Formats: sequence, structure tokens, C-alpha cells
Amino acid sequence: MLSNAIKALKANALKTTLIYFSLIFSIVSIFLISAISSGIISMYSSMLKSDGDIIITQAKISDTFFSNVDINLINKIDRLNGVKESSAMIVGASPVEKLPIVAVYGVTKNRLKNYKLIKNNYPKQNEALVGEAIYTNLKNKNSISIANKDFKISGVFTSDVGFENGSVVINIDEAGKIFNKSASMIMVNSDLNANIELLIKNIKSLDTNIDAKSTDNFVDNYNQFKIIKTSSNVISLIAFAMGLLGIVSIMSITINQRKSEFGIKRALGISMKKIIYSIMFESLILGCLSFVSAFLLSEFALYLIKHSSHLQGYVNGEITFSLALSIFLTSISMAVIGAIIPAFNAAQTDPVSLIQGNRI
Amino acid sequence: MIKAVDITHKYNNDLALNRVNLEIKKGEFVSIIGESGSGKSTLLSILSTLLKPSEGDVIFNDTNYKEIENIDTFRQTNIGFIFQFHYLINYLNVKDNLKIANEKVSEEEINTLLEKLDIQELVNKYPSEISGGQRQRVAIARAMMNKPTVIFADEPTGNLDSKNSLKVFELFKKLSNEGTIIIVATHDLKLAALADTIYEVKDGQL
Repeated sequence: MLSNAIKALKANALKTTLIYFSLIFSIVSIFLISAISSGIISMYSSMLKSDGDIIITQAKISDTFFSNVDINLINKIDRLNGVKESSAMIVGASPVEKLPIVAVYGVTKNRLKNYKLIKNNYPKQNEALVGEAIYTNLKNKNSISIANKDFKISGVFTSDVGFENGSVVINIDEAGKIFNKSASMIMVNSDLNANIELLIKNIKSLDTNIDAKSTDNFVDNYNQFKIIKTSSNVISLIAFAMGLLGIVSIMSITINQRKSEFGIKRALGISMKKIIYSIMFESLILGCLSFVSAFLLSEFALYLIKHSSHLQGYVNGEITFSLALSIFLTSISMAVIGAIIPAFNAAQTDPVSLIQGNRI
Repeated sequence: MIKAVDITHKYNNDLALNRVNLEIKKGEFVSIIGESGSGKSTLLSILSTLLKPSEGDVIFNDTNYKEIENIDTFRQTNIGFIFQFHYLINYLNVKDNLKIANEKVSEEEINTLLEKLDIQELVNKYPSEISGGQRQRVAIARAMMNKPTVIFADEPTGNLDSKNSLKVFELFKKLSNEGTIIIVATHDLKLAALADTIYEVKDGQL
């Protein structure tokens, strides 16, 4: 069966190649959009989860970029039972040299330790710590300008999180002046045995203008993640549909050209089921081959994206085993579903057309 | 034995066959002649289970076609087909083409069959590498793969020269002598005359 299926695919080389490429483009699209969106979500989640069990943002503001909370709350929060330490952060963005948009984090001093230094020192007043990815792109390695204010580069840090590695870190009071806010969010580190729910309740009671959530809860309900996930799913679905249409249309043409083959098989008593299986098996082989090719191509594309200086490390994707498995199953489904209609058409070839002397 | 009883067939309202009765015995070599559109292909289709008649019955060794549950298995076991065009699958060699009819057949059985048809040297050749006459012989071999009780041939010599056509009919004669029913639809009256019985279909009647 395998041998005959491969021979049939080879015999229709042009159409097989077209189906193969159609599948590859669809699968690569699904791979890239899924890997990149989950990569972005994972990067931001890792950043948020890096030091904090509770995240405090402005109430009824759905994005951390627009959130503004009073930094002085830190003093009150630190006095609560079960709080180990709290820190604040301003999330902003600014052009830096030729780079159109660079993430700028204004952080409290106790948060600086999160940035792993690879060169010189943490920033003091009028100084900025720059991520490795930004530093390599800078022409002027001594100072940078953020919102028309010059900062001396105090040091360079590295991070596995692309958003951080391609960012600039300054002191929160200076970031507050630039972005005109007190803090985007406050992160609270709790004691090991602290009751998180009770702590959240106590934090919320400090100010009616704030919203406090456990980090996991915050990440799960973060609107931006939902938008990214939904967009990714919609694009994947479109890619799936495009791939499916590609298979159905090209497969239908192939089947139409092979009608005499199916007609003679039907005349010889080969069951419809067997003919359907044989066509779906051919499609399955193409699905598997396309998946392997698409996987390698996607890994290569993600490598290029990861190392592209234009993207500053902000766009990053990783193909996890579960993602690869789910896309493998998607590819197989695409190949099998796409072959169903042509396979049924083939199986229904009327052998009477052969006996009536028509060369079908 | 194949027996057709009062076979009538209509395509929409057009009468293709009208109350046809015939009986073909084991090992009989039958030629069906008639002009194009006379109904001989319809008769062949009905006798070979490919088409259900509008009215009437076909009985094959005491089994009415209407009572057969799995027509595919019945066809695969009892019936062989040869068409005007060989309909060999181009991307398969002769051996694999024969295995289409019966994938469980052994190499030895294939070789024996090809020897019988004097085409044993073609076993690994592809249809594009052999002549028209040889292709039709391979098609005959494919029809014989399951040792059928009856072989239906529709204009099997339509694309062959007279020398190859005669060879095919001689082969049919040999097969019928061995007990296989051969039913051939043909335009060629000289070849038809080689059969044991000749039926002429005219305006849907025998």
C-alpha cells in the first residue's frame, strides 16, 4: 500500500508538489503565528512572574501601559502581614537612536537586582541600564536619549526575556517624569506561608482605585494575552482553511485525471472503502512529509527572527513539544479532511463509463 | 451459468433493452454484435453486475443478482473485465497492475499466468514500455487474476491490428475451452464468428 501510494504521488509529481507546498505554507503559517504569539505571551508572563506573587494595577484599566497607581502605596503594603517586599514599575516606550520603539522600564531600586549585569553598574540618577540586544545596536555606547532627555549608560544587562533584553531600565522617579505617572504597577512578594487571597483583600482595602490579583490570575486574565491568543487562533484557522482548500482543489483535479484508474478498480471489485482509504493514505503521507518540512522551515524562520537586530528580540517564538504535537495533529487532520471529498468522488467513479467505451 | 430473464432497461424514458432473454453455459464463448447504440454495452453492463436493470432478473449459478449482498466481493471473485482501452495504471509495472485485482496473489502465480499468455518477459515493464497488443494481453491477465467464472470483454480489439486481434480471440477460445465463460461485445464480424454463439442486439432486442 505504501509503495503504491508513493508511486501514485510520484506519477502526479506536479500536483503532488503543489499540494505539498500548499500544506507547507499553511503549516508554517500556523507554526509561526502560534510560536510567536505564545512566545510573546510567555516572555511577558515570565517578566511579570519573575518577582511577585501579587500584581497591583489601576482599577478598571485593562492594559498595564495605561495603568497609573500611587507609588506611595508601597510603604503601606510593606507594612501588611505576609508581605516580604514590594516593588514598582513603569512600563513605557520611546524611540532610541534609529530604533522606532524601545521598551523603557522605570523601576524601584529594589527591583534592579532582577537585571543580570554583564557590564559595569546599575543606574543612578540620570543613568540608564541597557539590555544586551539594545546595546549591540547602539552607535553611541556611552549615552542614550529618551524623550529628549540624555542618560549616561551605566551598564549592560542580559535577560532571557526578549522584552527585557531589548529594553532600557531607568530609575522610576525619572520614568515617572517622562511618562507622567507614578507607577504602572506594583509587584508584591509575599512570605512563604502567606495567605495570598487574604493579602489581596487587605491590599485592595488600602485604595479603591487599585486592582490586585495573584500573578497567575493576572496573566490568565490579561486582556492583551487574550487578544494575542484570539488573533493567533483566527490566523491559524484561516491558514488551516487555506491549506484545506488547496488540498481539496488540487486533489480533485488529480482524482479527475485518475478516474480511469478508479473506474477499473471499481470494475475489478475493489470496494469503495478501499479506494477512499488509498487516496486518504496518499494525502496522509503528504501531510506527514509537509509537517516535517514545515517544522524545519519554521525553526529556521524563528532562528532568523530571534537573531534579527531589527526586531530587537521582541519577537520571539519557541516550538514546544506540545505545540509541535498539536500542529502535527492539525496537519494530519488537514490532509485527511482535505482528501475526503476527492476520495469519495474517486470511489464513486462509475465503471459503466469504462464498459461503454468512454475513455474517462 | 448466466441466465437473463426478461431484462428491460431504460435511461430516463429511453428504452435501451427490451425484454431480453438469454442463457450462457459454462465454458461458452459468446459474441455480442450490434451497431453503436444498439444496447450491447448496456446488456454487458447488466450481465456483469455494473448496472441494475429497470426490470427483469439475472441469475448467476442459481444466484439472482438482486440477492447478492456484497456486489464488490462477488465481482472480484467471479467476474473479469477487459475494455477497449487497456486501462493499465501507468505508474505501476505489469506485476503491480496485476496485483490491483488481487493483492494477495503470489509471484509464482503471476509468473504462471504471464507464461500462459506468453508475456512473462514483461513482468517488470511499465505500460509505456510495451506495445498495444502486449498491454491488452496484460489487461487479459489482470481479468484472469482471480480465476473468474466469466470474463466480459467490451470491444477488446478496438485498438489492435488484425494480427493482435486474432491472437486475443484465440486466447479467449483457449480460456473458454478451459471452462471460463467469455462474453465479448464486438463490431468485428470475422472475429465474432470465432465464438461458439453469436447474439445480435438490435434496437434493444436480442
